[in-house]
Amino acid sequence: MIDFFPLILTVKVSFVATLITVVVGLSLALLLARKSFVGKNVVDALIMQPLVIPPTVLGYYLLSLFGRSSGLGRFLEDALGFQIVFTWKGAVLAACISSLPLFIKPARAAIEGVGREMEDAARLLGKTEFQVIRTITLPLAWRGIAAGTVMAFARATGEFGATLMIAGNIPGLTQTMPIAIYDAVQAGEPGAANLMVAIITLFSFAVLYIAGRFSQNRF
Amino acid sequence: MALQFNITKSFGSFNLDLSLELSTGLLVLFGPSGAGKSLTLKMISGLIKPDAGTVTVAGERVFDSVAGIDHPVRQRRTGYLFQEYALFPHMNVEQNIAYGIGGLRAPGVVDRVCELIEVMRLEGLERRYPGELSGGQKQRVALARTLATSPRVLLLDEPFSALDFQVREKLRADLLNIHRLYPVTTVVVTHDLEEAFMLSERIAVMNEGRIEQFGSREEVFYRPATKNVARFVGTRNIFTGRISSVTETEAVILHTDIGEVHAGLHNRSDVGSIHVGDEVVFCIRPEEIPVIRKDRTLERRVKDNVVEGEITAITGRGTTYLLYLKTLTGESTLKVELPNHVLRKLDLATGDSVRVSLKKESIWIIR
Repeated sequence: MIDFFPLILTVKVSFVATLITVVVGLSLALLLARKSFVGKNVVDALIMQPLVIPPTVLGYYLLSLFGRSSGLGRFLEDALGFQIVFTWKGAVLAACISSLPLFIKPARAAIEGVGREMEDAARLLGKTEFQVIRTITLPLAWRGIAAGTVMAFARATGEFGATLMIAGNIPGLTQTMPIAIYDAVQAGEPGAANLMVAIITLFSFAVLYIAGRFSQNRF
Repeated sequence: MALQFNITKSFGSFNLDLSLELSTGLLVLFGPSGAGKSLTLKMISGLIKPDAGTVTVAGERVFDSVAGIDHPVRQRRTGYLFQEYALFPHMNVEQNIAYGIGGLRAPGVVDRVCELIEVMRLEGLERRYPGELSGGQKQRVALARTLATSPRVLLLDEPFSALDFQVREKLRADLLNIHRLYPVTTVVVTHDLEEAFMLSERIAVMNEGRIEQFGSREEVFYRPATKNVARFVGTRNIFTGRISSVTETEAVILHTDIGEVHAGLHNRSDVGSIHVGDEVVFCIRPEEIPVIRKDRTLERRVKDNVVEGEITAITGRGTTYLLYLKTLTGESTLKVELPNHVLRKLDLATGDSVRVSLKKESIWIIR
């Protein structure tokens, strides 16, 4: 009997993480694309870190930051009853942080690609900054944002290293599909591993295909 | 006063400092690229903040560096036409025009959009996207989009530079018609002399962040206030000489190569400020110089300055030719513009020696 829990958990974690990534990432992408401020390069470099540092290192950082041994972790758990480490929320956090740069890169490029004059034209026609973003910037940058969303979702689905560090490998609780595949291979269960690998492969291919279609320009 | 401004702005070594008042009608801001013309429009509309000064639109102070007033772009209600029009590519013609007045679903908007589409001759294009329009159509959509919001002033930044030469003339005429229909106080920026002349009676000539002359087109054309203005309006013969005598109606200028040049002092109010011994800049437009035919002897007493020179080059300029005439003494060159048929009749060629007349009423002393 195949255990569907890892698949369901992975889908759940990926959706929640992508939602958070898009909301946070869009704000950051707008900020990085349109505003200049002190330390912008530092913020940019920080956000892009997960692309280059090993996932286990990222997981270690998260564990140190949100674990019971840190002030923040203790505060979240004791005061707000919000436990991140060794829960599915930890998996969401790991997925968010690792997928954020993959979302921001294309989203930011797309926002920067929207002509400054386009936005100025809207302002000259009496629109507020929010209206300009909603009716001009985002609609014109939507392909890049969509491509980023797909990439972020794919990254969230495949997240392994950092998730293992912060959420652990608790079957039925925090065991996502990539971790379950690892477990299955370790346990000598090629059947289960093959099936999950097939699902992930198919999914990844679909994601890249869709992302590719989005990146073709319409205008 | 529909528009009034007095602003300064510095970028590195570039300093802009100008003030202008405009009641109604259409003003052309003319000058070479880099003069700060577009920058001026952007500061009026609020897209760029001046370092200091004031901007008043339709009696409302929208910027005042001392009083700390700086209204955001959206509240200034200045219509602005970008060089490339900046139409929204994801909206069709109707949606673009309706954008500034609440969109097509807002009450009354459809009627307004229909009216503008008719006036701008955009019928049949309502559902087209900007990518499917010609340059001229794009411009009219952009104008309609701006006019829909009933702007208090209209600022047009090089409105014809993105268009083909052939359609420009027609579109300039269109613009004047639109201006008659919607008489919004308008400032047009251009670096094209012909365009400046066609569009307005009043021209402000800008150079390096300053207005060098503000006057009628005749003034700017025939009575340039500065050497730069003279150059910008195509006065290709600009010389420096010294006043050797002066009367109420005439001044005589001594030029090292040309000799004595008599200059009429008609229609100028500052005759009293021209003194013997002054070093002055004087100029004459190339098309104002007639060539004296070879077979014609100078029977009449020639009051006007006859200059002899050798043709060093002849260049075609379409309907006219430009002759480069080297003076017999010295290295000065006179540029003489002749209609093609005149050159043919005179049968002139490079190397020929000709006499020309610098008519004294065509000579303008810049000082």
